[in-house]
Amino acid sequence: QDNMCIVYLVALIFCITKVRCSSNTSKLIEDSSQSFTERMKTGKTSFIYFGNHVNPTIKLFLDQLEMSADALEDYGISVVKVNCSKETIAKYCTGEKLITKTYLLRGSEVLRSFDIDTVFDVSAIVSHVLFTVLYNEVRYVHTPAELLQVENAAKQMRDVVVGHIPVLGLPEHRALMEAAFVYGTKYQFVQTTGGPLLKHMGVDDLSVSKARLWFLHCKDMSRQMDQCPFTPMRKPLDTINIHTFLQLMEARLVTEANVDPSEVDMVHNHLNVPVLYLFSHPQTKRLDRATAQTLALQLRGEVGVVLIHRDSTDVKTPLQYNAAYRLPQEDVKYFTLNSAEEVMKLFKEELLQDYKMVEDEEENEEHWSDLEILDDEVSESVYRDRDLMLDLESITELTSDNFQSEVTQNKITVVLFYFKWDAVCMAFMQTYIQVADALEGVSGLVLAAVDCGEWTNICSDRDVTSFPFIMIYRPMEAPQPYRGMLGTESLQRFILLSQISGPVRLSSSADVLSFLEGDLYSKHADLSSIRVLGLFTSTLDTGVTSFKEAAKLLRGEAILGLFVHREAEKWVEGLSVNLPAVLLSRGSEVSREAYYLPSFSVNDLVSLVQRAVSDPFPELTVENLPWYLELEKPLLLLFVGKEYSTETSLTEMKHLLSSGQLPSFLPCWIHLGRTPVGRSVLEKYLGFVPPLPALVMSQLSTGGEVFLFPRERPLKAKNILQWLQSVENRDEHPAGVIPDTKWSPPVPVYDFLATMDQEAPGYASQRDPKMKTGAKEGHRDQDMTPNQRQTTHSSPKPQAPHEHSEL
Amino acid sequence: MSPIQRLFWLLCVLNLVLATSSGSDPHGSNDTLSHEYCVLGAGPAGLQMGYFLSMRQRDYIILERNSGPGSFFNIYPRHKKLISINKIYTGRRNREFNLRHDWNSLLSDRPDLLFQRISRELYPNADDYPRYLSLFEQELGLKVKYGVDIGRIKALGFRGDQGYVLTDQNGVRYQCRVLLVATGLWVPQQVDFLGSDLVEGYESIPTDPEEFKDQAVLILGKGNSAFETAQSILGRASRIHLYSPSPVRLAWQTHYVGDLRAVNNELLDTYQLKSLDGLVEGRLDDIAIVRRVNNEGKRRTGNKTSGKSLKAKEQLYLTLSELLDNQNGNKSSNVTAQNLPGYHTDNFSLRQPYDRVIRCLGFRFNFSIFDGSAQPPQCSGARGRLPGVTAWYEGRGTPNLFVLGTAAHSRDYRLSAGGFIHGFRYTVRAVHKVLEQRYHNIAWPATKLPISQLQSWILKRVNEASGPYQMFALLGDIILLRGSHCEYLEEFPLQALSQLSALSGRHVSEHGLMVLVMQYGLNHTDTLGPGRAESEWTKAWRSNFLHPVLYYYKTLPTEKDMRQRPVGWPLPRPEAVHHMVEDFLTEWDQPISHSQPLRRFLEYCLQTDLRPFYAESCFLMSLTSRNPPVFCRQGYLKKQGILGNSHLWQHAREAGLMPDHQGDVPPDTSVPEYLTHAGAAVVSRINFDL
Repeated sequence: QDNMCIVYLVALIFCITKVRCSSNTSKLIEDSSQSFTERMKTGKTSFIYFGNHVNPTIKLFLDQLEMSADALEDYGISVVKVNCSKETIAKYCTGEKLITKTYLLRGSEVLRSFDIDTVFDVSAIVSHVLFTVLYNEVRYVHTPAELLQVENAAKQMRDVVVGHIPVLGLPEHRALMEAAFVYGTKYQFVQTTGGPLLKHMGVDDLSVSKARLWFLHCKDMSRQMDQCPFTPMRKPLDTINIHTFLQLMEARLVTEANVDPSEVDMVHNHLNVPVLYLFSHPQTKRLDRATAQTLALQLRGEVGVVLIHRDSTDVKTPLQYNAAYRLPQEDVKYFTLNSAEEVMKLFKEELLQDYKMVEDEEENEEHWSDLEILDDEVSESVYRDRDLMLDLESITELTSDNFQSEVTQNKITVVLFYFKWDAVCMAFMQTYIQVADALEGVSGLVLAAVDCGEWTNICSDRDVTSFPFIMIYRPMEAPQPYRGMLGTESLQRFILLSQISGPVRLSSSADVLSFLEGDLYSKHADLSSIRVLGLFTSTLDTGVTSFKEAAKLLRGEAILGLFVHREAEKWVEGLSVNLPAVLLSRGSEVSREAYYLPSFSVNDLVSLVQRAVSDPFPELTVENLPWYLELEKPLLLLFVGKEYSTETSLTEMKHLLSSGQLPSFLPCWIHLGRTPVGRSVLEKYLGFVPPLPALVMSQLSTGGEVFLFPRERPLKAKNILQWLQSVENRDEHPAGVIPDTKWSPPVPVYDFLATMDQEAPGYASQRDPKMKTGAKEGHRDQDMTPNQRQTTHSSPKPQAPHEHSEL
Repeated sequence: MSPIQRLFWLLCVLNLVLATSSGSDPHGSNDTLSHEYCVLGAGPAGLQMGYFLSMRQRDYIILERNSGPGSFFNIYPRHKKLISINKIYTGRRNREFNLRHDWNSLLSDRPDLLFQRISRELYPNADDYPRYLSLFEQELGLKVKYGVDIGRIKALGFRGDQGYVLTDQNGVRYQCRVLLVATGLWVPQQVDFLGSDLVEGYESIPTDPEEFKDQAVLILGKGNSAFETAQSILGRASRIHLYSPSPVRLAWQTHYVGDLRAVNNELLDTYQLKSLDGLVEGRLDDIAIVRRVNNEGKRRTGNKTSGKSLKAKEQLYLTLSELLDNQNGNKSSNVTAQNLPGYHTDNFSLRQPYDRVIRCLGFRFNFSIFDGSAQPPQCSGARGRLPGVTAWYEGRGTPNLFVLGTAAHSRDYRLSAGGFIHGFRYTVRAVHKVLEQRYHNIAWPATKLPISQLQSWILKRVNEASGPYQMFALLGDIILLRGSHCEYLEEFPLQALSQLSALSGRHVSEHGLMVLVMQYGLNHTDTLGPGRAESEWTKAWRSNFLHPVLYYYKTLPTEKDMRQRPVGWPLPRPEAVHHMVEDFLTEWDQPISHSQPLRRFLEYCLQTDLRPFYAESCFLMSLTSRNPPVFCRQGYLKKQGILGNSHLWQHAREAGLMPDHQGDVPPDTSVPEYLTHAGAAVVSRINFDL
């Protein structure tokens, strides 16, 4: 099968190089709506552009698209264009004049859509399309820990090819993807873009940004070992170099032969790679082998090593030589070797230099260019919207002139403090506008914003030091800071809930029932099914004041009620709790929980309610995770999808929970459909995605080990307990380790001092102390004067040839 | 008269006598008023300090010898045009930012107490300034005593460590623990040379140009007062020559506002277009001005012109003292042609006589009111015109005596704006913070910031702060790193950096510190020539215009480090430095050129990843890393994550910065029926119809 691959690849290379000659037979297909519908049914993969108007940019793109059709045909991917001005295809032929999106479809399913800025030329098209198609085969990793997981999974199975692609869509990326397509079944391909891995792979000079590739020899590794040994590819990343390199990795480390160097036929010769020949004497065979082995390891991927046994009669090389090398297309050159270092020096410093030169040139070109690209997701995504005019109509812009009047005249004024130039603020602004639009009709509610870059005093007078920041103002009340998630749902829920000024005074048992069942404030039931009721027999109870105070602080987070009545006792009957108490209801069916409140402070009360409203078996979502991580318990985490068994597994977990056998764990679950990022969590934990549902125990705050519930065992409460027990007894092997990543700077700093030292020697160096001994303050002042330049504006014959002195 | 009546009468008389004797001590020597702070002078600096003292309700008094504030401006500038910019339209409403372009207002918390209330002229009339100061003093209710002319200042204890005693013209004594000298510079600077008595001073010349009609005028000096004088008489005088040792320094070239401002430089035009005016360089101390009757050559006897008597018009000649015979002094009759340079060098530039010679050499500090023990030394720079002060403006060798305002310019003479209102209003504020720490143990105000907010706070300061902008290279913000948070101190006098702990009461931790300074650049290029502007952020250190620079030190620089700092630098060589590239609009807020390079520098100093992340990424990292990045720790994990929206995520995914987690599980946001009851308050999802 290997050979097939190679043949295929060579054919491919041939195709690529031939493409331009055979351009008159374009492979680009133009679809009508009918042929498009048929295409959707076939289930084949196609890369499709729907367009209706051509401007110069689109024209360029279409040319590239046409070229890519030939390239992608080899991978069984059709490249199609649809003329929307002739055909109308719903969903894709949008009304826009210029359509700048392209789609990768498998049948009717959209695998991904691309902006034509992303797929700007053949290389970009091929690399992005293949990357998407190979999404499940090529692993995308960021950190050394993630790589380690991949390695662990690959050990004893197959070798790993790691490509570092700093910029996606360039020819290097394409080359890697094409190689992955061809060799994907043989090797585990890994792609990375970030810096952390570079250091891990021994790249010291992080300032040079270029594509790199490493071959990780994992196949022969036992599972115990840490890291697979690896060989870096030193030549630039292109299809031929990668192919050559992979062939070399497959070749024997040291070839042994019994013939003269010129007779040895090795794969290296065909791949145009230099070969080093070492002659071995029978007496020193073992030593020679060891030397050859050492040298071969050091030269791996660049030079082939052959050990020639002199005892063979076919070896006729004069005895004065003990080594030889052969450069591609050249004859064998013999020499005498004194030490292994000498050979290394010869190859590294002389024979392999031409490659280096090429590389260096490229490096200089690329230097720092990647620093012009934004490398954080928030800034980049906001920057990409720089042509987008935010529609601020639904938001009241506050200024020094109207701030006071606005926040006092509305029932509720939500005020966002932001900076225009802060990406995080502007990312949130989109959310804020969404909330404002959604709440437009709510009377007495105004969403407003202060640009702290302009109205600096408004913000500094209120000690706002963290941005974005939201404050909620109500007339005659102290403003309440919003300390929740900065997302549409959280904020909207908070604002709506905070319309209820807690606690709600309940006067009869009937009221209490309707409060607990959610009938009272039923329109808020969607926001929070949880009701918290303070039960007191007498208004004299000091707890009443604290409860009221706590309700104020919890405004927007929970709906609180207060029942001060002699019938209060009735509501805790059978709950083995005495008054005063807090009663918690999670909706009508579920049983209520009661907590006895001895003498308590407001803060205790707040945290009690916060703790009480949290779910004992939560579904972890992006928005709620922090509440649960605070507990610092190991997570017993069930990953579920749409499978039929989901329900039973959740029920099993609940059984376990209600039996009270999981006190030291936080049982929780993630639904991968609703929280797709959960998939990546699972993948990072284990290095792969097991069939769902999958139960994982993650010791996030202690030790960081991750255990996977064995797939072959049914997910039953009993089995789970057993498994937890054996984990505790250390009978289970961890399936992964959560790394204690040190989040170092992702990109090296631009060293201004080094640049200064280089370009203006002495400019940035401290003064020589000897020169300045006894210097007085005043002299220093003169030295400091930055502008004492000698460019005097000469006047007509300054008569006095006097010395210049300070005026 | 009954005995009782007599006794009563006697008592009355006695009473009267006692009363009069105790109430009228003729010498009044025991009249000592005591204050914690005495501010000497009610000019801009004195009133500015008064404001800060009154804000803190300190026991202070401002003593002023004239009857109103800012009396200097009643006379100067002589031609009544202030050259400090009063730019009232900036297109912005940011009060802090607007102070960058308002050179006249004093600092206060009153948004309406700006100079623009008095004048809307870009270059206002000098008479408006005392009016502004009166307004400032009255609206803020500052305690000023006018008409108190302090003639003598004595130190108490060893060189003022017990305070100072000030005595006024009436013998009233003021005893103060701290003396703040804000007397300005008003003694005209003079140079002693032969014939200096023939020279008129800037302080007393007529300001009516008609008085200079058809006169040849020699002005000594090439500063703003010299050019201002020249400009006013340009249309009347026949010939104006400006003479001083150094060539003209143009403020728009040197960035020093004390150099010649373009608003005064019309004479450069007439000089370069050869319209009879000119500039000449030469030393002042070996010249001589002589009076001589104007005639050509030696008169020969017997060659009398007609009966018309010759106008014996005496004119002034500039010569060198070495050409004069010592004995003849400057008696006009004795001066011969041989005593003039034109006799020796026939094309000597200043060979023609002048009708007037005017001295425009600036002003000096009045040292005369100080007793020996209380007198700050003369600073060796600035021709000895200024008192020597420490980097925190305390007189050298005079503890508890601080010099404020123009007189405190020795620290940044010809470097920054400390000699001008728009500069010293900030140094006064800095000195006040030093006073608060030293005498009241109130540490320098600091803003505590989580480290994830530092970048945006720096950008905020860089884009609006007026103090570091006006007092460039001299006042800078100090960021004390404390691990997960930092303390941000504004506008610390950088030359005193090594004394930071003592002066501010804030300590440097093992995490080190950063300093934010605004600086002009190397200025090696032609100010208006090509290549003057730098736009590449990696070449930011070559920026010529004012731009922010950040210095990072692992430990506080010592005094020795400060002394040996690189030539032209405000601070010693740091561990790392970051220049933010100059910006044409002075708006340092662009993501690629400004924010990201700054973030990377901060990341280097803090050795941590400071990138912001959406909640989804934080979710992933919080579950798969025991120590997620700082942005997630200080935001998301404190329940304040940035969710973003699908539109933004799409951008991030297309940029390859955010992985697509879809996998093969199709997105599904509907909650299956069997799960609905599991939703808790923090979990519940709502479908809003947007």
